[in-house]
Amino acid sequence: MIDPAWVSGLSALLFVIGLAGAFTRKNAIIVLMCIELMLNAANMQFAAAAVHHGDTTGWVYTIFAIAIAASEVAIGLAIFLAMYGQHESITLDDVNVLKN
Amino acid sequence: MAGTGSSEIVHSTAAQYAPYILLLPMLAFPVILFLGKMLNGQKVWKETLKEGGLVALPVMGASLALSLWLISDFIGAYGGVDKLADWTWFTSSMWTSGVVTTEISFGFGVHIDHITVMLLFIASFLCLLINTFAVGYMNTDPINDNRNHRFYAEFVLFCSGMLGMVLADSFLWLFIFWELMGLCSYLLIGFYYERPSAAYAAKKAFLTTRVGDVFLMVGLAVLWDLFGSLDYAVVFNEYNIDKVAASNPGTLAWALGLMFIGAVGKSAQFPLHVWLPDAMEGPTPVSALIHAATMVNAGLYLVARMFPFFGAESMHGELADLAFIIAAIGGTTAVMAAAIAFVQHDLKKVLAYSTMSQLAYIFTGLGSALYLANTLDWHHDYKAHAIVIVAFGAALFHLFNHAMAKGMLFMASGAVIHEVHHAHHHLHPHDDHHEEDPEELLMLANYLADTGQSVFGFFNSIDLDQSGEVDTYEFQTALKKADIADLPPWDMQRLMKAVDMDGNGRINVPELELTLGRVHLASLGGDDHHGHDDEFDAQSMENMGGLASKMPLTATAMLVGSLSIMGFPLIGGFWSKEGIIANTWRVALEDPRFFYPAFCVLLGAGMTGFYMSRMWLKTFAGAPKTDVAAHVHPTNTWIKTPLFILTFVSLAGILFAGMGFTHWAPDIEYGLMSDHGGLIGGILYELDHVFANEKPFFFILTYVALFFGAIVGPGLALSLYGGKLDEGETVKPWFGPVLALNAAVKGRYHWDNSAFGKSGFATALENRLYFDHYYDMAMLKIVAAFSTKAAEADASVIDGTVKTVERTSQQLSTKLRSLTTGSARDYILMAALGTLVLFGLIWGVVA
Repeated sequence: MIDPAWVSGLSALLFVIGLAGAFTRKNAIIVLMCIELMLNAANMQFAAAAVHHGDTTGWVYTIFAIAIAASEVAIGLAIFLAMYGQHESITLDDVNVLKN
Repeated sequence: MAGTGSSEIVHSTAAQYAPYILLLPMLAFPVILFLGKMLNGQKVWKETLKEGGLVALPVMGASLALSLWLISDFIGAYGGVDKLADWTWFTSSMWTSGVVTTEISFGFGVHIDHITVMLLFIASFLCLLINTFAVGYMNTDPINDNRNHRFYAEFVLFCSGMLGMVLADSFLWLFIFWELMGLCSYLLIGFYYERPSAAYAAKKAFLTTRVGDVFLMVGLAVLWDLFGSLDYAVVFNEYNIDKVAASNPGTLAWALGLMFIGAVGKSAQFPLHVWLPDAMEGPTPVSALIHAATMVNAGLYLVARMFPFFGAESMHGELADLAFIIAAIGGTTAVMAAAIAFVQHDLKKVLAYSTMSQLAYIFTGLGSALYLANTLDWHHDYKAHAIVIVAFGAALFHLFNHAMAKGMLFMASGAVIHEVHHAHHHLHPHDDHHEEDPEELLMLANYLADTGQSVFGFFNSIDLDQSGEVDTYEFQTALKKADIADLPPWDMQRLMKAVDMDGNGRINVPELELTLGRVHLASLGGDDHHGHDDEFDAQSMENMGGLASKMPLTATAMLVGSLSIMGFPLIGGFWSKEGIIANTWRVALEDPRFFYPAFCVLLGAGMTGFYMSRMWLKTFAGAPKTDVAAHVHPTNTWIKTPLFILTFVSLAGILFAGMGFTHWAPDIEYGLMSDHGGLIGGILYELDHVFANEKPFFFILTYVALFFGAIVGPGLALSLYGGKLDEGETVKPWFGPVLALNAAVKGRYHWDNSAFGKSGFATALENRLYFDHYYDMAMLKIVAAFSTKAAEADASVIDGTVKTVERTSQQLSTKLRSLTTGSARDYILMAALGTLVLFGLIWGVVA
């Protein structure tokens, strides 16, 4: 049995990688992938905690999060398509209509 | 014959119907207006109903009939019919310290006494006659076509305002109807609202009388404060007056003084007189209505109404100063207006100033009568009683005589102006309604000449649909293309009308060719039917002269009316004018302050004689001064009828005097007919009283006044104006002596008064003594300056505050906006940081 501490550490590492990617990358799809990474880091933490405590609540949260992530990806990709239609680019720096 | 006292009140059937006297015309107002809107232009409306004139006529006739019924009941009853009809309008509660103390109900009732009866007859009688006159005057002038319904509607509303004011049984209703008249005078003076001068005159009349009305309203508020009611039944109650007199008589004097200022505005007395001459901008029937039947009498009526306050024993001597002010303002106006009338050339303006002057006489008479009532012990002394009644009667009788004479004079002047205008129209048909050619057409003609296009070629190029005719849209496009004008559709109509000769709404080649040719010629100076004729003024006496043979009935009416106003022996105004002069002098012997109005009215008598004679002679005697005046024809029957009737009323002055009009009582308690044995006895008594007064002072005074009014004034005018008619003109026999006297006096004593005409004083008079200038200046200096300051304060203080708030938030938001970079990564960073901060906070709280 792997020590839950290792799993938590991996999940934290994945989360920070995702966060750093979301901050720094310009390509919207990569940013979306980074967000997915963060979500999955949280899922992993839920799963690890569920095993550790022998409580199924963590599994339930994980399933909910995966469902939400799936719909989020669908919406996110739709937004990128629309964005491309208007700006002919999905580079985040090119889109700044909310500036000022 | 003394009355039997107010306790014996007769319940007259006529009084039950009295409200209809004013309700009928008031109901006719919307009827005429809506019928006029619906039937406008149709033959039945225009010919049969005279555009509403024959709807108004029976209504005014019914009002007169009801009035006469009421008056005959009243005269028969002696004891008086008093406040019979009653209708509650609304009820209101008085609160003192949170407790309801009294219930007050506001209602409409009819109050009938001697003063009511006099004014009621004048108003309803003259309104009917003026209505008759208006049918002949308004409906024959093409300028009024299809809008006379507006005139008749406003006319009946005006009449109902006057009748209502006279019949009302409280000062509240008096004020309401007073304002109704103010509104109607505004509407009617501005009847020709498309003329800037008429619009200005209407505004001036409305605003000037409004100045007085504000004071009247304040005066009524003070009166309400004193009595707790404005009903005549309460405020004229002796017990109530005694109570007020015991506590604060000075406040009552102030209330009455403020109300008098309202009367000054309404009756056009100095210094609120400036609106009246300008009010001549209205059609002549309106002038007659305002000057004889209604408006200006309202102020006099209000002052006459105040008699019970002046007459109350408990107010003895308290109101003498106010009575003097009334008389002094009257005296001042009498002389001032008469002097300005000397130099007027406009026929109607002379009459306007004459009205002002004669109203001033009545004010002086009322002032003297009120002074006598306030200072004499007339409740117990029979002799003093007679003096008060005679003084008051003289003023009211002059109101009657003046209304009849002035109504007639205005209608006669209207007839003259009407016929002179028609004659002018007949002789110079092109002068009126000649419109300037639109300048765009001249530009078009020049454009064609410059570009070398023929009219036909141009026409084909602009006829876009090749229909052979050019419509408004095509013409508009063409003008735009040629860079002449880009006109909106309503402006295009003007151009289309100028070109479109057959009136089918479209232009064809010959029409355009002819029009452009005419326009081109006119621009070269070939404008032959233009220029001097535009100056023709149908109201100016300089364009008249010699009309006595052309319009005999009108000339007779004007002569009788003038003699009545002048106070020529035995004719109408003589009886009342002598009475006013005598009574003012009677007061002057007791109170030396009254020498001022007394001299004024004596001087005014001579001046009246001069300007009235001057007016008649310049209009009707001498040779015609223009070719127009030589071609004037007698007027139509509608106009002649009222003149004919009023001539007899004025001539019958001696009958009225004999009937006891000279001592028309101010109060309900005293009888009407004189005590001198019927009509004949009354006439003999009056003749004896006037011409052979047993008191030497009044005996001399009578003849001095007569000397000025009937000899010096007219004599001067006879020597200056008029003269022989043209050779071969025949006149009615009664003009013979007048014209012969005129010719003799002028031939023998004619003198050159041009030096006076050039003098500064004459110029000042022609400028109405600069009152309008001063008022304008005062407005500019005070009101306009204040307005400028107020505008500045508004811009700097009020707008400034708002703008500072706006500017500050604007700057703040600019700073805050720089936080939003528009970059998604920054937003994520902020969200993350925010989450961290939140975590920190929660951790800090929990741990």
